Amino acid sequence: METKKKVLIIDDDNDFCIATKLILEKDGYEVFIAEDGRAGVEIAKSVSPDLAIVDMMMETWSEGFNVVAKLRGSDATKDIKLIMLSAVDLHGPYDEPSVPPEGAPRVDLVLAKPIKAPELIRYIGNLVGKSA
Amino acid sequence: MTGKEKPALILIIDDEESIRDGCSQTLSKWGYQVITASDGDEGIRLAREKVPEMAFVDLKMPGMTGMQVMEILADIPDIVLIVITGYASIISAVEAMKKGAYDYLPKPFIPDQLRAVAQRGIEHRTLKIEAKKLREEKELFQKGFITFVSHEMRSPLVTVLQYIETIKMLAEGSMAPDMLEIIERCSVRLKNLEDLVSHWLDITRIEDGTFSTHKEPVDLKGVIAEAVDDLMPLCEKRGIAVETSVPQDLPTIMGDKDSLLRVLTNVIGNATKYTPSGGSITVKAAYDDYYVTVSIADTGTGIPPDKLPFIFEPFYRVKGKEERYRGSGLGLTFCKMIMDAHNGKIEVSSKEGEGTRFVLKFPR
Repeated sequence: METKKKVLIIDDDNDFCIATKLILEKDGYEVFIAEDGRAGVEIAKSVSPDLAIVDMMMETWSEGFNVVAKLRGSDATKDIKLIMLSAVDLHGPYDEPSVPPEGAPRVDLVLAKPIKAPELIRYIGNLVGKSA
Repeated sequence: MTGKEKPALILIIDDEESIRDGCSQTLSKWGYQVITASDGDEGIRLAREKVPEMAFVDLKMPGMTGMQVMEILADIPDIVLIVITGYASIISAVEAMKKGAYDYLPKPFIPDQLRAVAQRGIEHRTLKIEAKKLREEKELFQKGFITFVSHEMRSPLVTVLQYIETIKMLAEGSMAPDMLEIIERCSVRLKNLEDLVSHWLDITRIEDGTFSTHKEPVDLKGVIAEAVDDLMPLCEKRGIAVETSVPQDLPTIMGDKDSLLRVLTNVIGNATKYTPSGGSITVKAAYDDYYVTVSIADTGTGIPPDKLPFIFEPFYRVKGKEERYRGSGLGLTFCKMIMDAHNGKIEVSSKEGEGTRFVLKFPR
């Protein structure tokens, strides 16, 4: 039987989760949603996704970084590929929140929202490959 | 003194023992905590260690003068400095006040005078600290507000755009072309709105000073190459040729790389909007003894002479029949502000039907 690659979306914007989920499901991924950082870490532990998409700003400006730190800090979740997403303009030197805190663990990719469907699929495909 | 707060700590620096004792007694009686030093060295050491709220400094002491002591004490946070001076040296008291002393106390003085000066000084300090706190809170609020608006305004836009992406993908092949066209138009208009929010925020930040251009040597060659690379796919799609000519030895300038990249992307991006398919955009850099210049010329529709003076104004639009692409109306305003922040200039010349040329001029 074909096993689908699993993607976890951690974002407090439910609509964004749904939009992204539909894109990824159409492309053959199994998708899980967590609407806050804590739930994100829990679900990551229980379903062991291949990749997680983490929103930078949730309850707090830097909640995304906390989530990343927790995922990278636990043996069970440290190998999950991570994409960090932010609605903050990442091109300018203007938004302090977009600067990772000193010593923040690395993510595999940082992308700006909104993200074009073909691009998102290509990036995720590059990181984890399609369904195995 | 209300008695509830921690009593203020006052440092007396005077070489006369009688003054030190007299001040100590009087001020202690009024509820202040007092420490004393008999010369400048000891006074500075004590001040650094105990961080008093206020210091009385005798101007005339053997060794280090009161004026020198004051200059060093000035870096103790929020300290109120009062000079003690003989009648004959009122002029030096004035001098001391110019250097940051809050008040002076002429010798000889009676306990009530000392008390009045001390009380006034402490009140002044409290007010000053409160004012500073209020100012900081206000600044913090403003800064937070901008970031808040940024997030709150962009979030829904971003989400809707993401839904549109989803619809496009799910509808692949099954949706009528005219409906897809409508969706595409929605997405373009929303993207414009998103750009508008970003530009507006950029400008607000430049205006209120939260945007600080930290300047470092910038290699314009690299910035130009990056901007051109960014826009190449778009130009190819629109059938516009791009030519760059940048001398290898173009000198670096002092500036903020990211904002300069945005200026170039903006100006070149504009050129792509108004240049028809088959036209060309030429980006050239040059330098002389005083300036480094970058020019961006297109073979587009051009700007009528009567509109030219206004194009850097916020929300000004050159309304032409051929305006195919709407912008935020703030792009060039942003460019001008950034160029101003670099002590540079942005100039434009244009001929209708022949093209437009922007020149960015940086002092070397």
